[in-house]
Amino acid sequence: MDTLLSEEEQMVKNSAREFLEAECPSALVRDMERDERGYPAELWSKVVDLGWPGLALPEEYGGSGLPITYLGIVLEEMGRALAPLPIHSTSVAALTIASAGSEQQKQDTLPGVASGDSILTWAFTEQTPRYTPDAINLEATLDGDDYVLNGTKMFVDNFVVADKCLVVARTAARSEDNEGVSLLIVDTSSPGVSHIPLLTMAKDKQSEVTFENVRVPKANLVGEADRGWPIVQDMIDLATVLLCAQMVGAARMDADMAIEYAKNRTAFGRPIAAFQSISHMCADMIMWVDGGQLLTYEALWKLDQGLPAQVEISQAKAFCNEKCENIVRYGQMIHGGIGFMMEFDLHLWYRRVCSWTMRLGTTYEHRARVAAALLAHEGKVELGRPVVAV
Amino acid sequence: MDFGYNAEQEALRLKVKDFIAEHVTQDVLDEMHGIEDGKETGRRGRGPRVAELFRKIGYQGWLGISWPKEYGGQGGDRLSQYIVEEEFARVGIGVGGGGSGAPTIMAAGTDEQKDYYIPRLISGEISLAFGFTEPQAGADLASLQCRAVKDGDEWVINGQKMYTSGAHTATHFYLMARTDPDAPKHRGISIFLFPMDTPGITVRPLWTIQSDPVAPPATTYGTARTNETFMENVRVPQSALLGEENMGWYVGAMGLNLDRVGASRYLISVRRDEDIVNWVKENQLGDLSLAEDPSVRDKLAELWIEAQVCRLMTMRSMSIVEHDETFTYEGSAEKVWAPEHGVRTAEAISQMLGPYATLLRGSHGAIEDGLYAHQLMGAFQSGINHGSVQVMRDQVTRRGFAFPRG
Repeated sequence: MDTLLSEEEQMVKNSAREFLEAECPSALVRDMERDERGYPAELWSKVVDLGWPGLALPEEYGGSGLPITYLGIVLEEMGRALAPLPIHSTSVAALTIASAGSEQQKQDTLPGVASGDSILTWAFTEQTPRYTPDAINLEATLDGDDYVLNGTKMFVDNFVVADKCLVVARTAARSEDNEGVSLLIVDTSSPGVSHIPLLTMAKDKQSEVTFENVRVPKANLVGEADRGWPIVQDMIDLATVLLCAQMVGAARMDADMAIEYAKNRTAFGRPIAAFQSISHMCADMIMWVDGGQLLTYEALWKLDQGLPAQVEISQAKAFCNEKCENIVRYGQMIHGGIGFMMEFDLHLWYRRVCSWTMRLGTTYEHRARVAAALLAHEGKVELGRPVVAV
Repeated sequence: MDFGYNAEQEALRLKVKDFIAEHVTQDVLDEMHGIEDGKETGRRGRGPRVAELFRKIGYQGWLGISWPKEYGGQGGDRLSQYIVEEEFARVGIGVGGGGSGAPTIMAAGTDEQKDYYIPRLISGEISLAFGFTEPQAGADLASLQCRAVKDGDEWVINGQKMYTSGAHTATHFYLMARTDPDAPKHRGISIFLFPMDTPGITVRPLWTIQSDPVAPPATTYGTARTNETFMENVRVPQSALLGEENMGWYVGAMGLNLDRVGASRYLISVRRDEDIVNWVKENQLGDLSLAEDPSVRDKLAELWIEAQVCRLMTMRSMSIVEHDETFTYEGSAEKVWAPEHGVRTAEAISQMLGPYATLLRGSHGAIEDGLYAHQLMGAFQSGINHGSVQVMRDQVTRRGFAFPRG
């Protein structure tokens, strides 16, 4: 038990922070909000040189083979800097292929990710914005050696620049035996694929993607047909905990800015930090972001150890949803009017953190998962002892 | 980062649990709480049953695990000590760290003081009462008035202390007094350590809202009795001075952070989170199953997650100690988060159980012998004692982020 970062972890964190402070100013973040592709080629090639896209991928496929915890730490720093880079969606899809894909799929996909030539994403949500098998209606029907896809996915991150997309599809009705859900690697340039960009609060690059008789080779099936749900769930869990890391990083930066502002802004003849009402808000911000960080690190660590981590991930996301949002709201309150002027940077953090609270599971969904685990636990629950998701 | 316990630590936890099941009997607990035939004895120091229990715990090598061997410890790691502390704290017994005060004595004491107090605090032979607060000095503790005047080789102490919990059973007093009334208020205070039976000390009970009826033992801040203590020409030797004369404010601060964190502090704030989940799983209110009520489920999960943050903040404190690093704001933050969480839990449980949670201990129809009703009367107190949450928030920003004073 050691909640503090090891020397190596701290080094990765520090160097990611220093790099992004130098290379990713807020002006770049603003530019990318208006950019069609949403990420700068120059910065991308620099992070490829640092090995970020393949950070946690196996070395045999060109990755660095580092633990997921390191990826979490880098994403935390990317969240701090709001780095407009498609690392999250690429890592989630690539790591899913690395753990559940066939040897051929790995060879076809992962080296391109590690070299920075390939950007990936994944598509889950349709009309019902809940992470349950019932929410999956996009049809994939077997026709010869191909699946034929028909349906629409919403909120697909970085689709506009991705060359491959992991699509969660329904290949059968739910049965006693399985959920009838499958996971397919879809080439985004396949005929029949079209997309409409969405204008989000975060001004990130999300799309609605429509699949109309899109043919996908059977060989692109990840795992077994109809039995893909556990793989999908792992993918969503991974995406969720990595998003928590980003939220914690962004919320920490917001708190840092508010603290700095409070110490410099004067009112009634003194810095506003000298007013307890402001000081206590700042103390809460620190307490909350520390809590979110500890929960996120614990979830990442469990995931890395191959231990059940669903409850821990839900704990982290439910907490971050509420507390990170509170932090950025406090940030706005402390800054007053200037905080929501377009020319001032603070809203860049506010808009993203708020937006992320709504992605990958709302507070209610994650608490429902935690409650189900607690109430189904055999014997008495005890803090510090594992409780496993139902 | 490492969020697991190693095999040795896991085995230790199981061994301690087994030990407790076998040796911590109701007799021992009653004696520990100073209760005989259902009545408070007010006896000073430990009784024979508790002494025997601590001998057995000592024989297992579980007392002061992380303290140096020369002071009666085991020279082991802080986390193993934490595990022992946590398991014993779950049954209301404080072991392991040598209790409050020991870290300060270790940091500021003379060799004689360390040799005398530390092993006895670890073994439980000595217990301390703390004389900090006064009628006119609470959150602004540094304005305290209790006077100690030098008279030859001795100090003569006069004044009054409030909320001296355990003063009627403790063997020794750990007292803050003013030794230089002309210096700025933080720079004229000293700390003294001396036996409670020194002539001139009068201890009078102050009964808390948990005293009638007396709260169930598991209640957080269920203490029925605290005290006010009067000093009238109490003469103590020069050797009773802890740390440098007039530097008591800073000497005391050395140990306070360590007093604000740890197993017992953590459990105070989270035990009901476990209890209510287990209760809801196993019980109904008439035809009503709270386990099936979506709003109850949502709240249970919310509280559970907050409790996990309490646990992780405690683990962070242990990690900081293990790394020999110093707290900047972490202990203070923990002392805000955990107590306030404990209050949220107590309040939420009362809204889950409704009118049944108004019933006090001994009442007809009470749930868990009134535990949740008494909990609501106790939980908020942990946000007041040992530094209020308002003072702690100021410490977070001043110490951690160099905020100016108002």
